[in-house]
Amino acid sequence: MNRRSLLQGLSLSVLSATLGAGSGYGQAEEVQAAKEQSSSLAGRFRIGVIGPGSRGRELIRQMLRVPGVEVAAVADVYEPRFLQVNELVGKTVPSYKDYRSMLERRDIDAVVIASPPFFHARQVIDSLQSGRPVYGEKTMGFSAEDNYKVVETVAKSGQIYQVGHQLRYAGWFQESVRRIHEGEIGEPTHVFAYWFRRDNWRRSVPDPSLEHLMNWRLYRESSGGLLEELGSHQIDIANWIFGEQPRTVVGASSIVLYHDGRTVGDNVQAILGYSKGRRLVFTSLTDNAFMGNQLWVYGTKGSMQLTVEDATFYGPIHPTTTAAYHSDVVQRGLKTGATYNYAADDEMPYRGPGRRIDARNQEDPTLTACRSFVHCVRTHTQPVADVRVGFGSAMACTVGKEAVLQGEMKKVPEWRAFAV
Amino acid sequence: MGTEFTLHLYASSQNAAYCTARDAFEEVHRIERLLSHYRPDSELSRISREAFDHEVTTDPETFGFLESAFGWSELSGGAFDITVGRLMKAWGFFGDSGRVPTEQEISSLRGQMGWRYVRLNPDRRTVRFLAPGIELDPGGIGKGYAVDRMVRVLEDEAVTAALISAGSSTLYAVAAPPGEPGWKVHVPAPGRPEQILSTVYLRDTSLSTASYTEKRFSVGERIYGSIMSPETLAPVESVAQVTAVAPTATDSDALSNVLFVLSGPARTALLESLLEVSALVMTAGEGTALPEATRWPAPIVTEEGSLSLRIEGD
Repeated sequence: MNRRSLLQGLSLSVLSATLGAGSGYGQAEEVQAAKEQSSSLAGRFRIGVIGPGSRGRELIRQMLRVPGVEVAAVADVYEPRFLQVNELVGKTVPSYKDYRSMLERRDIDAVVIASPPFFHARQVIDSLQSGRPVYGEKTMGFSAEDNYKVVETVAKSGQIYQVGHQLRYAGWFQESVRRIHEGEIGEPTHVFAYWFRRDNWRRSVPDPSLEHLMNWRLYRESSGGLLEELGSHQIDIANWIFGEQPRTVVGASSIVLYHDGRTVGDNVQAILGYSKGRRLVFTSLTDNAFMGNQLWVYGTKGSMQLTVEDATFYGPIHPTTTAAYHSDVVQRGLKTGATYNYAADDEMPYRGPGRRIDARNQEDPTLTACRSFVHCVRTHTQPVADVRVGFGSAMACTVGKEAVLQGEMKKVPEWRAFAV
Repeated sequence: MGTEFTLHLYASSQNAAYCTARDAFEEVHRIERLLSHYRPDSELSRISREAFDHEVTTDPETFGFLESAFGWSELSGGAFDITVGRLMKAWGFFGDSGRVPTEQEISSLRGQMGWRYVRLNPDRRTVRFLAPGIELDPGGIGKGYAVDRMVRVLEDEAVTAALISAGSSTLYAVAAPPGEPGWKVHVPAPGRPEQILSTVYLRDTSLSTASYTEKRFSVGERIYGSIMSPETLAPVESVAQVTAVAPTATDSDALSNVLFVLSGPARTALLESLLEVSALVMTAGEGTALPEATRWPAPIVTEEGSLSLRIEGD
């Protein structure tokens, strides 16, 4: 494969990464090509990391699996993180309490941001304006204004921005969405998304004064709660499947079990409306892990189950059918016997087998996403999870978190492109 | 890892204990995602899939784990070897119930696996396989590594006393329960869990047991365990159980397997060179298991009665 065809192959996914149907599923050959090209272009690629908490350190771990990547510096307001980074990287990494000081370094080729979401937009904008490409964790922004500002800055800076919706890079998600778009389950009309946990969602706090810093997920001023933290991934997948962002959100949340001072719900239900009456129904519990993390995509001709490890296709569940001609039945050898009326059991859930979706790319999607980001920066191509992908889920969460708190239907502001 | 991890700990409150335990178990899940050869998306599986085709860059933690595993291979002259994935599959120890492979299957694996066919480059943090049949299987060290990582979480959260158990076969004791000399641990006789062979107190150290009973299948009267001899590519049958005490769980886990595989003289020589460890090896004799103890810190009681042991170094 020559360089031109390689880029064209990659461009199927990386250059046409709008939310339009048919986009965004890289083929196994492209993934392999990206791997090979990453190796062949493996010059130094120095990253600065803002927010090396648990997710930030996982991104560092994955980034260091990409040939050539080095950690040049880290920034965090919580200093104990620096020792954890040093242990992870295996050397002393220059560290900063103020990320703006880190951005003044000249040896940073790209910035990785994994701070809490209410910091994202400011840090993404400052990083882009410092002339660096950005891999930014979801959600892209915390408010509608944030989201538009990031879109504008990405456009004006001309820098690569990739959002941390790594499920777009999972082989089995790519293959499943490709098949859905090809009509394998007919017209997809509903996505039911579950994210159940048995967990108080609370982090250990070494000192009570650090409660809001460590448990920022539990408080409205710093968190969109379960919808934003967990649901944003599933909203992104529904956006991909439906080929657009949602238009409306309505929902509810409450505290059932954890009356510990938190101000976001310990459970949430949200219904997101798309065109043609299509719906995403998201529900998250924290007192029962039965459903785990999974999406069901229901279409007019079948269903698809997507989990963080695999995907399974289920064919249509037919009602009772009548043979067109009685003679045909006789000719096929049916003479007599009791009739099993399947329709009588139509109310029972289907409990039969499904068909596992094979995907040749089986690696951790976060690794694929990190490799893809490095590849896009090195080759100046646009990522699959670009700013528009980030906008689609972030804006839904921005108004969705208000909708579930107030129990009202909210309109989701539309995408607005900015002229460069 | 297909193993049940348990954790006993002392904490200031039930909620503090809950949060610490959750953090420790989250670390186990992270290690599972890193090392499980049952998960295609683990880093170890990625290396197994790709390292023969091209050099694979990995993260410092995974690289350090591989250095540790292959360090044990070198130290033991190959008695410890994590390149045995395909051999384990041939014997039905990969999600199956066990089977005896044909001679042809075994001979086809010779020359296609083995720790000497793996190249680690610490400068670039890369892994390369020189033989096509290598599949990494972390059994024999992965459990211990996960326990050590849990210990690190407990240390970070300033836990004063805890006992971690991975499937009851790899333990680590953090300090001791209040007023106790250590965490009391019974070592059972091989294949007879009701009979206590020895009782030891652990404090800031680890204990692992490798046994023919841990994972096995039988054909007729013959029992096949899952600890393989690198020479015969078949289960070791001369040893019934090894219990090793070492400063880290990674080391006690690996050492218990190494001692299970090595022959008597090689076992003795290795133990003489490792002054920080102690071991209790139960060889498989004619109908009975015979004890061999090195620096073992407690009395041993066999069916014949208490054995008076001379503890080396005393």
